[in-house]
Amino acid sequence: MFKRVLFCFCFFSLISLSNAQTCCSGGIPLSNNIGLAPIEKGTLQLGIHYDYNNLNTLNFGTEKLDDNSRLRITHSILLNANYDITKRISIEGLFTWVSQRRKISQFDNTNLEQSSGIGDAVLLLKYHFSNTFGQNSNLNIGIGTKIPLGSTTETNSQGIILNADLQPGSNVWDLVFWTLMSKNFNFRPSFSVWSQLTYRNTGTNKEYLENSSYKFGNEFQAYLGFTDQFLIFNALTNPAVSFKYRHAEKDKISGFDFDNTGGNWISVIPDFSIYFKPNIIFSTQVEIPLYSNVDGIQLTPTYRLTTGLLFRILPKKNILDIK
Amino acid sequence: MKKTVLVIFGIIFIISCSSSGNNETPNDLPNNNGNNNSANQEWLIPINEVKDGGPGKDGIASIDSPKFEAAEFQTHLQNDDLVVGVIHNGEAKAYPHAILDWHEIVNDETVTINYCPLTGSAFGWKNIVNGSSSTFGVSGLLYNTNLILYDRKTDSNWSQMLLQCVNGNLIGDSPEIVSVIETNWLTWKSMYPFSSVLSRESGSFDLEHYDRYPYGNYLENHNFFLFNVTPLNSTLPHKQRVFAIINNNMAKVYQFSDFEGGNAIVDSFNGKNYLVVGNENIINAFELTDDISHLCYEYCFDYTETFFKDNEGNNWSIFGKATSGSREGQNLITPKSLVSFWFAIAAFYPGPYIYSE
Repeated sequence: MFKRVLFCFCFFSLISLSNAQTCCSGGIPLSNNIGLAPIEKGTLQLGIHYDYNNLNTLNFGTEKLDDNSRLRITHSILLNANYDITKRISIEGLFTWVSQRRKISQFDNTNLEQSSGIGDAVLLLKYHFSNTFGQNSNLNIGIGTKIPLGSTTETNSQGIILNADLQPGSNVWDLVFWTLMSKNFNFRPSFSVWSQLTYRNTGTNKEYLENSSYKFGNEFQAYLGFTDQFLIFNALTNPAVSFKYRHAEKDKISGFDFDNTGGNWISVIPDFSIYFKPNIIFSTQVEIPLYSNVDGIQLTPTYRLTTGLLFRILPKKNILDIK
Repeated sequence: MKKTVLVIFGIIFIISCSSSGNNETPNDLPNNNGNNNSANQEWLIPINEVKDGGPGKDGIASIDSPKFEAAEFQTHLQNDDLVVGVIHNGEAKAYPHAILDWHEIVNDETVTINYCPLTGSAFGWKNIVNGSSSTFGVSGLLYNTNLILYDRKTDSNWSQMLLQCVNGNLIGDSPEIVSVIETNWLTWKSMYPFSSVLSRESGSFDLEHYDRYPYGNYLENHNFFLFNVTPLNSTLPHKQRVFAIINNNMAKVYQFSDFEGGNAIVDSFNGKNYLVVGNENIINAFELTDDISHLCYEYCFDYTETFFKDNEGNNWSIFGKATSGSREGQNLITPKSLVSFWFAIAAFYPGPYIYSE
């Protein structure tokens, strides 16, 4: 029964996504979704997640404007693969398929622009330190790159190239720096405090609209999270809550600051995970903005939903390793 | 427990997908006239030079129910603030740049005022499309970084500075132009103290919103372009405001510096003679037809409606209307003209002549 429910869920999810002729976005959630924690040498982790980002809030700085005529949505399918090469070194790849839409409802008229396709990917090499901050603590650092697999030449129904924000890709290599710190405590070993920092140094697309250049603003994200583990009705669950700070610099077009881009955001992310099996974890989280301070006037996230499955394939134990 | 979780989240997930209206395609979406412009792929301008500006169609909302206030009661405008002025059906109206920067189009009763903040160009078009009234909206597209409007009757796209429908059912049509001038608030209210002014309450934003300029240092930085311009002519500073007469796809440019303190010049361009009058804040031009070509003109603006006079004793307004004298009530013919940034004139009308004394 359980397998059947799981199969149905995945099946309907994929059906829904394949029908989703969606359009615009606030970007593909690359930085949000990298950084699987290492387990042990030889472990392979595979994640498949769906991310829905809804932007329907128009801000001027911190001021929310009374205008909900503009809707931007990004649907993303995210595939993570992490392999722990050694006890300390692991490598992670994040691959995306993205569907973006921009829908404007004004004057009894609705206008839609949309694009979809394979998005950019991230490759991250990570190093693990144990007990850096005392017993039961972990520190992971990583460096990687965003690989420009996505198209930047998608057009609308009239053959006009969509602007950078609506393209599945960026046509640039970015540098990605990542750290993940966590600590468990003796008073409750299942309780964990963690923090993740991500910095993305973006490259410049020198072929934007054929003869311009475009650079998305460098981006910094910091998370502070709290996780615990409970047994509920014989199921192991991990409720968590984290707080996210995101800073994005202004984009640059032909070398000049592009106004009405960039800003600062703080959000809270309740998360719930459940172990279907010891090596299959279902998780879902919703990101709710607490504070948005955008440059100029911008659509800013209204909410984001991420849900999916993580599979852990542990290495086969050598009989000689078992004492 | 696991099954319950799966079912709950499965339902949430499916709802979230369906709430995005994901079965719509652009062609399914209604517009208010039932036309579908995507069926018409022909453009009079190179399609690879038509750019998606970013906000999308109607993402910059036109003002369709403008509200006005009397000039004497308005409190937001400073003397140096630029306005677009029009006299239509005997009524003087001013449309502040500060509002036009955010809305670009004002669909007034019979005239559409359209203004492109990226090229600094303003026009008045009659609200007539294909023989009946229509409003215009911001298409979200740009050509040479200049506004492309669309009409809500046929969904056709119109290039503002080309003054032509460039795509859609009305391709090749030209708008009927209503003469507008661009000047500062002090000049306008001196000439037309009983003018009404577009109110900030017309738009969807808070009143203070219009104190902000949406494009950063775009006006000051002559090399800052949001979209490429072809050809880019650097003879004058790119963002310098100039006045230009347009005649058969050619342009002649007049710099405000040539009119410091007031000037009235007779000039010829492309086979026609023109009277060009102005000062450092305002310029307008008129065709010198046979019945008035023998007159001598003199600038005489004294902060009233009278802007220049002739040796017959007639006084004329900046719109070319005789306000007193034997020709009182006569209107001079205004050519196609506009105020815009230099780069835009030079891009749309390559190789423009530049007036020099």
